[in-house]
Amino acid sequence: MANATGDSQPGIDRKLLEILVCPVTKGTLVYDKERGELISEKARLAYPIRDGIPIMLPEEARNLDEESSPA
Amino acid sequence: MQLFDRTLLRRRRDRAAPGFSAHDFLIRHASEDLAERLMAVNRSFPLALDLGAHQGALSYAPLPEDKIGAIVETDLSPAMLSGPEQKVRQKARPLRLAADEEALPFAEESADLVTSLLSLHLVNDLPGALIQIRRILKPDGLFIGALFGGETLSELREAMSLAEIECEGGLSPRIAPFTEIRDLGGLMQRAGFALPVTDADKLTVRYATPMHLLNELRGMGETNMLSERRKTPLRRATLMRMMEIYREKFSDPDGRIRATFDIHYVTGWAPHESQQKPLRPGSAKTRLADALGVSEKPAGEKSGPSEE
Repeated sequence: MANATGDSQPGIDRKLLEILVCPVTKGTLVYDKERGELISEKARLAYPIRDGIPIMLPEEARNLDEESSPA
Repeated sequence: MQLFDRTLLRRRRDRAAPGFSAHDFLIRHASEDLAERLMAVNRSFPLALDLGAHQGALSYAPLPEDKIGAIVETDLSPAMLSGPEQKVRQKARPLRLAADEEALPFAEESADLVTSLLSLHLVNDLPGALIQIRRILKPDGLFIGALFGGETLSELREAMSLAEIECEGGLSPRIAPFTEIRDLGGLMQRAGFALPVTDADKLTVRYATPMHLLNELRGMGETNMLSERRKTPLRRATLMRMMEIYREKFSDPDGRIRATFDIHYVTGWAPHESQQKPLRPGSAKTRLADALGVSEKPAGEKSGPSEE
């Protein structure tokens, strides 16, 4: 889950990734490097990372069930 | 009921972000105070979280380089975090993220130090926020918070009330209720902090006119964000009368007006077995009477004056 290629990645700092949890469920987050999002499976939310700043606000997060799931 | 409109707070901070560095003297004052408090603690902190950091509060604190390892800064407003003038004194650039102090995105026992300067007075659930902070701390981790309390803006509150009663025949909520210092210690204890300490630093700031004070509050992003605030703008006549009253009641001989900022500090530790704590009742190995050099009297027999 944590991207191990180092801290120089513009995406997100590894140290930060280690301590971040979903603010709603306090569950673990998965870093989606492609989309630049932090995904909380439990809350079905994807928190965006904008200009290197993770936006850990539920009202700014993308609802995983609204667009991507086909069924 | 939500006392504070957090969405509005975010908008206020977003809007204040570009010019914030002209109005950040209270944060800077508090961060210097914070540095002194940290220097009094004989240890270093590998990972520190600064909650509601505005444009950097802990990272501005004048501290030796080895005192703090990494700093993670949060603010409700991403614009505030990416503001133009980051005042960073620490060598390592702080890591930043947008987060709400009411729903913190940090794992339990992840930080050695949590700080929060002049943000926690605007959370709806302060006891809840303090509990979250205590959980985020590693055992024996330290929390130092500063929040506006007690007498903050008491002059403005009074002048505004009098003007509203006079011009509009009633009152509307305009200035937030602030926590009293005596309540904070209890809140800290209930949130599970060990060795909680609270104290206050009351500052009087002087401005040329009440308008300058209002501009400063706007610049700080601290204007009224009560959920129950009146949604119509303040009438001009009321505003004018408020400023007159303010001048009459709260100005110095040189004509400048006074404004109180009452900063309350809270300090507490996440519990750890190494900390001093009271012994279990009945676990004493020495008799108190021996320590005091007196003879012990059986319970029930009062040694002092009788209560009859």
